[in-house]
Amino acid sequence: MSLFADLLGVFLNGLQAGAIYILVAIGLSIILGTLKFVNFAHGALYLVGAYAGLLIANEVSLSNGLLQRYGYDTVGLGWGFLPALVIVPALVFVVGLAMERYLARPFYDRSDLDQILVTFGLAIIVQEAVRVLFGGQSINFRRPGWASGPVALPVVGNFPKWRLYVIAITAVLVLLVFLLVEYTDFGLVVRAGTRDPEMVQLLGIKLTRPYIVMFAIGAALAGVAGVVGAPLENVNPSIGMETLVPAFLVVVIGGVGSIRGAVVGGAAVGMVYAILVGAPLASIPVIGGALSWSAWSQVGIYALAAVVLLLRPEGLFGSEEVS
Amino acid sequence: MSDEVGTSTEEETFVGAGLYDRWRTVQGNEATVAAITVAAVAVFPWLFADAPVLSDVLQGYRGLASLILIWGIFAIGFDLLLGYTGLLSFGHAAFWGGAAYAAGIFSAEVSGLPLLVVLAGTTFAVLLSWVLGYLSLRRGGIYFAILTLAFAQMLFYMAASPLASLTNGENGFTSVHVEPLFGVIDLGLPVFWPVSILLGEMLYVFVAAFFVLAVVVAYRVLNSPYGIVLNAIRENEQRAEFVGLNVRRYKLMAFVISGAFAGVAGSLFTIHGNYVPLESLYWTESGEIVIITVLGGAGSLFGPILGAGLYLYVENVVSGFGTIGTLWHLILGVIFVGVIWLFPRGIWGIVEDVREAVRDRMGGER
Repeated sequence: MSLFADLLGVFLNGLQAGAIYILVAIGLSIILGTLKFVNFAHGALYLVGAYAGLLIANEVSLSNGLLQRYGYDTVGLGWGFLPALVIVPALVFVVGLAMERYLARPFYDRSDLDQILVTFGLAIIVQEAVRVLFGGQSINFRRPGWASGPVALPVVGNFPKWRLYVIAITAVLVLLVFLLVEYTDFGLVVRAGTRDPEMVQLLGIKLTRPYIVMFAIGAALAGVAGVVGAPLENVNPSIGMETLVPAFLVVVIGGVGSIRGAVVGGAAVGMVYAILVGAPLASIPVIGGALSWSAWSQVGIYALAAVVLLLRPEGLFGSEEVS
Repeated sequence: MSDEVGTSTEEETFVGAGLYDRWRTVQGNEATVAAITVAAVAVFPWLFADAPVLSDVLQGYRGLASLILIWGIFAIGFDLLLGYTGLLSFGHAAFWGGAAYAAGIFSAEVSGLPLLVVLAGTTFAVLLSWVLGYLSLRRGGIYFAILTLAFAQMLFYMAASPLASLTNGENGFTSVHVEPLFGVIDLGLPVFWPVSILLGEMLYVFVAAFFVLAVVVAYRVLNSPYGIVLNAIRENEQRAEFVGLNVRRYKLMAFVISGAFAGVAGSLFTIHGNYVPLESLYWTESGEIVIITVLGGAGSLFGPILGAGLYLYVENVVSGFGTIGTLWHLILGVIFVGVIWLFPRGIWGIVEDVREAVRDRMGGER
């Protein structure tokens, strides 16, 4: 029974770790699939979401950075977590709209290379702007009182409440996006645009608006990921890029343009991570001393991507055409 | 190097046009390129660090001069891949840092002779780039960028924790042990007297020799049939494939060559700093080389070198200037985006455009 409980615990941890990646990866995947646009600045949206959430939910005392130097020792509204969860997606949605209009759109006709480079540049700008304003130190994002502490689950035993909320929020959002894309007229246009944009336009349907909305939805999801993910670890300017790389892996594993793929890929990545961290499962002596597998947890994710890539270059749910 | 010969008839109006034509015929020679590089490398540290007025303005120092050449080698190699083959790798930190670690560990465990250390580091980088290149080239374009980034990050995490017994984890590898060159010439000592005014320490000579070699090798590769094939792949991959070229193999070779350059540079970095920081494997390092190459001008031999010089200068000297210093990274990001947006050929591209415009103006129709 205890082994089963352990396994279930690892499973939940895996879902939770995967949830953040899923939220970030869905946006990446959709934008890449429909707009054929590579967004290296997607991690910056996560970063913006995390800091915006932090400033809305908490009052933060700064120890360095430009704001602190000009006398703002404490910033933030301290409204609590729920307002943050509502405001941040709206805020990042607007950021996404602006990003599509002023950064992505001028680059649709340019090469992939230029798209990567310009979004990479933007990612640096956002990251450094945050660093300059708030300082480079890690800031603790307090969990709201109602969601901190453990909850007693039937089989698993005590499990951190927050992690359950993360899984639940992710599930709801993913479901909403899935329904939107699969079962609405809007989703129909987007999907048709992915297949054959020229034909859709010949039929008299304007694609600019569905595209910009889709882009902004992807951005908002990354923003939400920032809000719910940041309380799990500290907030600092480099979390954006650190989240982007695994999210890209999720896209590669799951296949581009597929929500299902992003979910399965994200869950797989989360599971591998959780299994390797779940040290009681296996402990082996490595060169130079007895280390557990947990040291390999970050590496395992990449190994998984390498294996998937060798066996199925287009990803688990990707289409056959490989660019 | 890409100057067209079409303007030569108009040049005859110049006084000394004969000399100019003479220059025109030799300027593309490999020997000329080597000679110019040697000359530039010989005066550079003095101009940068010791020349009367100039160095006071620049506030350069000799250690930075060698570091600039090391990054220059890295950038030349990276440009072979990005500028000439059209492949954007976001994982070159793996080869730079991997070689740095391999060189460091080799120097501590096997032998500290500088040439052997560089050889060990470079060999490691070549093997590694072969494996990662093979895996990453299974997907093209954007996926290639993502995959190289991912694999490099994997190496970073491996060095950080599971292999910490080998790499000394987050503290970086500290037990680098460099012996004198050929067992007799100490790299830390100045060169013999009159020459030392220009070149300073032996270490600089050691690095500079590799730099000149890198320029010449890159120049030869680019002007060989091999380089032309790489260009063809960048321009139109499908057509190159239809002509019967094995595109994937050529791409892999370009990747390995560029990995070898990164390996030489990374090994030299270990010898230069006597230390391997863990950050040498982090993605920021890959980002830096991308920025350096693109800012300087991808697709030209000297653009990336210029980029390396400017970047390291700003990073090490300008970053100490008060408020601008704290903002330099942000400003750099803005400039980077601006360059991509408006001048995709980088600073060197601007220089070339200006040169072209001046030539047209001077030799234009009357």
